[in-house]
Amino acid sequence: MITVTNFSKQYKGFTAVKNLSFSVEPGQILGLLGPNGAGKTTTLRTLCGIIPPSTGNLLVAGHDVVQAPISAKANLGYIPDDPRLFDTMTVWEHLAFTAAAYRLADFEEDAEALLASFELTHKRDTLVHNLSRGMRQKVAIACAFLHDPKVILFDEPLTGLDPQGIRGIQQAIRDRAQAGAAIIISSHLLSLFENLCTHIMVLNLGECRRFGTMEDLLSEVGHTDSTSALEEVYFSITQAQEQTSETAAA
Amino acid sequence: MDPALRQLLILRLRGGLRQRLHQMASVRGLLFSLAFGVIIWLLITSSSSSGASAFGLSSLDRQAFSDQIITFMPLSMLGLSLLTVVMTTGPTFHFSPNEINFLFTGPFRRRDLIVYKFGAYVAGVTYTSVFITLIAPPQTGSALSVFIASLLTLVFVQLNSAVISMTGHALDGSRLAKIKWPAIAVLFAIAAVAMVHAWVTPDRGIFDLLFEFRHSWIGTIILIPYIVFAELFVAASVSQLALWALVAIAINAALLRAAIVLDERTTDRSLAENARLSNRWERIKQGGSFWATERTEMRSIRRAPHVAGLGPIAWRQALNALRNSSRLMIIFVGLAAGIAPMASALGAPVTQPHTLMIIYVFIAFILPRNLVCDFRGDLSRMEIYKTLPIAPWRICAGQLVVQVLLAYVIALTVIISALVFEDSVSTQVALVLAAFALPLTLLIYAVENTVHLLFPTKLVAMGRADFEFLGRSIVEFIAKTLFVFTAMGASGAVGLLTFKTMGPTWVLPGLASWLTLTLIGLLTVVALQFAFRRFAVAETID
Repeated sequence: MITVTNFSKQYKGFTAVKNLSFSVEPGQILGLLGPNGAGKTTTLRTLCGIIPPSTGNLLVAGHDVVQAPISAKANLGYIPDDPRLFDTMTVWEHLAFTAAAYRLADFEEDAEALLASFELTHKRDTLVHNLSRGMRQKVAIACAFLHDPKVILFDEPLTGLDPQGIRGIQQAIRDRAQAGAAIIISSHLLSLFENLCTHIMVLNLGECRRFGTMEDLLSEVGHTDSTSALEEVYFSITQAQEQTSETAAA
Repeated sequence: MDPALRQLLILRLRGGLRQRLHQMASVRGLLFSLAFGVIIWLLITSSSSSGASAFGLSSLDRQAFSDQIITFMPLSMLGLSLLTVVMTTGPTFHFSPNEINFLFTGPFRRRDLIVYKFGAYVAGVTYTSVFITLIAPPQTGSALSVFIASLLTLVFVQLNSAVISMTGHALDGSRLAKIKWPAIAVLFAIAAVAMVHAWVTPDRGIFDLLFEFRHSWIGTIILIPYIVFAELFVAASVSQLALWALVAIAINAALLRAAIVLDERTTDRSLAENARLSNRWERIKQGGSFWATERTEMRSIRRAPHVAGLGPIAWRQALNALRNSSRLMIIFVGLAAGIAPMASALGAPVTQPHTLMIIYVFIAFILPRNLVCDFRGDLSRMEIYKTLPIAPWRICAGQLVVQVLLAYVIALTVIISALVFEDSVSTQVALVLAAFALPLTLLIYAVENTVHLLFPTKLVAMGRADFEFLGRSIVEFIAKTLFVFTAMGASGAVGLLTFKTMGPTWVLPGLASWLTLTLIGLLTVVALQFAFRRFAVAETID
């Protein structure tokens, strides 16, 4: 469903992502993990066609995001970390806009269901600039889900959400995966990955340090009492990398 | 003022100055600032050498100019005060969220905070007054008198508006508040009757009526505080200037005192107003309008049209225009309708090159800077457009449709106004102008958007002394004007060539000329599509 081959991205002499290759199949949830500047957001933004890749091929539902961007985008839902909605438009009008953009003829029933599932029904006619950040995040997710995309990309999906909201979004992500969507989540919240992800990719300085199933990664560390197993994996990978870099520099 | 607040004020002023110097340290900042300086210098020198200024003020000698100021300046200031009353909320002392978090929780009295804000405002208008002094027409008095008059008048305008707004807040819910709207309705009715009277009475215009009101005893009584500031501008001697300046300072001091007293009674409302203004500024920074709706809820429109991909984008901008810019649109249509009668009343008909240039600046500079319903207001939302499964050219066309149509309505209003009020503009001329106005409007906004996507920048200046922003705005306008005039020249040349080859009729040459201008407009939309494709959404490296 998502296939990335030899993807690299350079910004004015700086390499944000180096030679990245991976794939995500239907029903899988891939967690992108890494410190700030690791290349997570760059990867997501390139996959959804916001920024062009420097080299490599990125396929979404079989469509190349550079060669066939319209077909690729028609199968994709993207939820940015800071959703910038259209002020002066209501919550419902965002759904109506999305329906028109994705050519959905009968969207009302699905839209009502999404509003209900995200507890937004009573906010249907509210202008979005009056919503809290968490509410805006829910609107962005509802819009991204409306056309039932085969691929969904989340960038820090839980920012600004209250505990009920967090639980609701996590359940929605699970449901979408069970329905056959391929999902990528970028976040700094390790507990989110432990709860949801089937696969993990650890990025550091634009390079893939580890990619595998959650079970494989956790089995490498074994059981720990004090910290979460994924936290142990994360720090062992990133700190080992830092030490290697320092040794090389010395 | 509290010493800590005084220090904060000095630090902030120093920080502002440092920021401007940093701006000028970059090549781009220096070039745009220099461009701004050169253009202003050219304006000043041309103004002082020829005495030329808008609407034929050059023909007025010092005495006549003083008479105009004494007559019309108090009336304008009264109009501004009434506008503040109508709008209920005016520019009271606005505290930013940072100031509320830091200063409201600090060991300061409210009056100290008001004086601090007043100090900041005075520092700002000192700069504005220097600028006014530089560009003041030669008929005004000495540089010192213009500077003092400008400074005291601007301070008065701020304090007067603040006191009016605060009084309105303090009277909320009282009996006096209930008569506000009936009183405003009566005033509007009187104004309407006066305008109709001026319209139907031969050889008697609205300016004659205003002149009579201003010099009547009742007009003088109503306008007394405003007359003081008009007298400041026309003071013939230093002693007169000193006298009127003392009176003006006394009025300002009384208003400041009133503001401090009123502030104690309106603290809650003041906090709400601060939050409201901060929200507005945030929205303006993201491309919204100062006049945007402040309603929380709206009846949603159930469906958006698709129309080959243009539909949702144009629909979004139509909603944006309706809820963000409808009041602004009414104001611009009103201004456009008033251009021809105003120009006629001032003895500078719309057919004069000078007036035509002012109309062009209105249509191609002031209007696009304020009425924003296209890409320029959506820079922070480009991610959404980039992820839509819609071809880029359709997105570009959808973005332009509403903006071009709105601007065309305003251009048509100018043309109709000229047709009605200007004898030399015939119906045929008006029809030709209306036909050419559409492709010309398309061209203007296609260029505007292309430049904005290729060289994205903020839409509002960061403070009064943002020379880089001002310079860039003027340079962009000049470049755009050169392009538009070249396109019009090419269109005219094609028309002329067709006339010479096809014969005596003007229909075919006119059509050829129109098609050429339309083609250039469409080609610019192709350039806009290229700019959209290469637009890099903020490159977060994460």
